[in-house]
Amino acid sequence: MNEGAIQTIRLAGELDLSRKREIRDAFALSNGARAVLLDLSEVVYADSTALTELLRFCAMAQGANIPIAILIAAPQFLRLVQYAGLATAFKVFQERDEALRYLSECAGT
Amino acid sequence: MAASELRLCRPARTRSVAPIRRALRAFLEALAFDGAALDDITTAAGEALANAAEHAYAQETTRRRRDVELLARFDRGELSVEISDGGRFIERSPLPGRGFGLRIICAIAHQIQIETSHGTRVRMLFPGPPVKS
Repeated sequence: MNEGAIQTIRLAGELDLSRKREIRDAFALSNGARAVLLDLSEVVYADSTALTELLRFCAMAQGANIPIAILIAAPQFLRLVQYAGLATAFKVFQERDEALRYLSECAGT
Repeated sequence: MAASELRLCRPARTRSVAPIRRALRAFLEALAFDGAALDDITTAAGEALANAAEHAYAQETTRRRRDVELLARFDRGELSVEISDGGRFIERSPLPGRGFGLRIICAIAHQIQIETSHGTRVRMLFPGPPVKS
């Protein structure tokens, strides 16, 4: 898949309750996107607010048949996903290349 | 090691959560917690704080003071972290996409007690940091 067809959404810092509105506003599909890379590799802390918004966005994308890859680097965030029982709900990657490869495979190119 | 204690009381607002969480993390670092234990305890406390800030006083109509309090105490190799407020305890709905806070706390804390008789008090217990030789 051409990387131009991939919508990239980046958030950084601490994703907690105080940023709920900002997270929800950021997690939006753009016109023409065929896949989405959620680059959260610079997030240093996340709470269940972020997970709830991630689930909401993933459900929206799934309804539009648009694959999503989530890039997470912080061990705290990775474990949060596990603790919440969402390890199989998201496609999480720690390397950008792997995430892009997954999105390309989803597009069958 | 002598008992150590951190007590903080702030207005129960969303913007209070991160400063309390960061103060707890600094307290834990001073006690030699690190790595996954440091992250996990901070995460569990953060969930309880967020729950208090978001829900405790959501249906309050009086003008009384609305605070959330953190009490962390390390004594004889055990850490307790209590988050208390004067409002109602509402565990988020178990609908898909909601209700992760308590699940996360239960996955991390070795013991958890929730008292709801006078406001809400969530008490979490954790083992101390490993003794380094």
